[in-house]
Amino acid sequence: MTAVTPDDVHAFLRTYVAKTLQEQAREVPADLPDDCDLLLNGYVDSLGLLELMTALQDHFGREIDFGELDAEQMTIVGPLKNFVASELAKS
Amino acid sequence: MQRPLWSGFLCSSEKFAERPALLADNRHLTYRELRDGAMRIASTIQSLQTPGSTPLTAVFAYRSPTAFAGVLGSLLAGNGYVPLNRTFPMERTQIMLQRSECSTIVVDEGSLPQLGQLLEAAQTSLAVLIPHLVDVKNYRKQWPRHKFLGASDLKLASDWREPKFENDSIAYLLFTSGSTGIPKGVAVAQRNVTAFLDYMVDRYEITENDRLSQMFDMTFDLSVFDMFVAWERGACVCCPSQKTLIKPGKFINEAGLTIWFSVPSTAVFMKQLGMLKAGQYPSLRYSLFCGEPLPISSAVAWLEAAPNSIVENLYGPTELTIACTLYRWDPVSSAAESELGIVPIGYAYPDMDVLVVDENLREVVPGQEGELLMKGSQMSLGYWKDPPKTAAAFMVPPGKIEIYYRTGDRVRFPVGNKPLTHLGRVDSQVKIFGHRVELGEVEAKVRDACKMDGVLVVGWPKTDSGFGGVEVFIEGRESGVEEIRKMVSADLPDYMVPRRFHFMERLPRNANNKYDRKAMQKLLEEGL
Repeated sequence: MTAVTPDDVHAFLRTYVAKTLQEQAREVPADLPDDCDLLLNGYVDSLGLLELMTALQDHFGREIDFGELDAEQMTIVGPLKNFVASELAKS
Repeated sequence: MQRPLWSGFLCSSEKFAERPALLADNRHLTYRELRDGAMRIASTIQSLQTPGSTPLTAVFAYRSPTAFAGVLGSLLAGNGYVPLNRTFPMERTQIMLQRSECSTIVVDEGSLPQLGQLLEAAQTSLAVLIPHLVDVKNYRKQWPRHKFLGASDLKLASDWREPKFENDSIAYLLFTSGSTGIPKGVAVAQRNVTAFLDYMVDRYEITENDRLSQMFDMTFDLSVFDMFVAWERGACVCCPSQKTLIKPGKFINEAGLTIWFSVPSTAVFMKQLGMLKAGQYPSLRYSLFCGEPLPISSAVAWLEAAPNSIVENLYGPTELTIACTLYRWDPVSSAAESELGIVPIGYAYPDMDVLVVDENLREVVPGQEGELLMKGSQMSLGYWKDPPKTAAAFMVPPGKIEIYYRTGDRVRFPVGNKPLTHLGRVDSQVKIFGHRVELGEVEAKVRDACKMDGVLVVGWPKTDSGFGGVEVFIEGRESGVEEIRKMVSADLPDYMVPRRFHFMERLPRNANNKYDRKAMQKLLEEGL
């Protein structure tokens, strides 16, 4: 199995956000830049964040210990994708 | 004796002036500070109000000190509050503002970027209070139609005058999704809320030492519990910062919470994310859930993580003011009292009456199922400026002389002193080839078989007489479909066995975070 790259995670986040916003009949942003804060932009709410975390686990088929990630960074696309990719790389 | 909703807060702010009333944005506000902020907003609204003004103030704010001061300020001015949520689609928020006909609005810092869009939709001239902003010149220039008041324009707390209190004085106007897709505003009177509070603060023996979670957006009426149960007795309501929202477990321990209140979904996710380890939350003395069915598995897992707490399942539609029945989970006896893997909704509050009726609105006999109707002191005023919809939902059943509210929920009318059990929505019952099928029953079997909690069953395909079968959506990774199908088939007649199993990373939810059956139906219509 090939390693999951930050870009893979980024692609997943894009699809996830697009789907969430479409369900709420909201406009989908053209891009999800690395400095985008998912929470502050209203793309996900509190429960939505927990859902996103479980969705990441489900999608990549592994448990991820989010406790390691700084809460301040957790909702920002760049740090989040790097974190998830590095956690998945751990054996 | 009727009293205004704000009276409990004012009493507490005299008795416990220097104790914390609120934790928001990572800092505590004492009762004195929160009272002062709320009073300044209240006296400013009072100075702007004319005799003909709608007695409502919009609060366009999110989990900030201004949000809470805005709620209290509206009430202290003699108005009800209308919470507006910047994380909602703007169009929905615009409709809420228009329908409520508010003439004043309180805005916090985080919601300011969206204020322009909201004002564009305003049909009348508004008075806009922005308590944190000193300079509002630019706003005045850009929106000359509206009146802007910044920090230095607010009146003094000492200018406040006690407002006139009437029997039907409104506490808040909350919008629920209507079946037509247009939100309906439920007008809840202050006397409805105080009746609810009287029971709750005594039952949970709230004191000034309690710390309550605040997990609900203000557009969800369960937030009223957090705020006013706390303030009634001098306790502190603790709002997680946006960042700590992701780690609810850390929040419980760092904030030293004693009372937890959330939707069951939060527990489901925490379980999946390994946040419900045995003995992890010893500070909690009550763990309360409301807003959607509570799976037995979630109650069990939560109790293990919060072993010093009592777990209760609350039930109630917005129209009956927050919650009106409850059930205390007992690890020994409760599983046997549950149906469909869901914790019972229990017993009516002392001031509320239950009636379970059949399709002809006639009372059913004990042991039978039917639609739940309720009446009592928490029955709200009805839908704002919508007498036809109010008359349809708040009605006198045949053979009765008093008005009941039709909840649209299916329950089993208990035999003897057994608890009420929730079986699903009335509209969650479908006909398949003439058989009456409760979708909740199929969901329970699938939940059992796949060991996952996020399960939603919909009727599909549509036929003239109902549906040709059912399909199921499961939140999680695809695994063992044939195994699940086999287990489900063993317990259910063929027509109830899902024809297809769909796995999704997340199931669509509506604005209140409940699974959205209509959205799934739409997916199928679009050819999934």
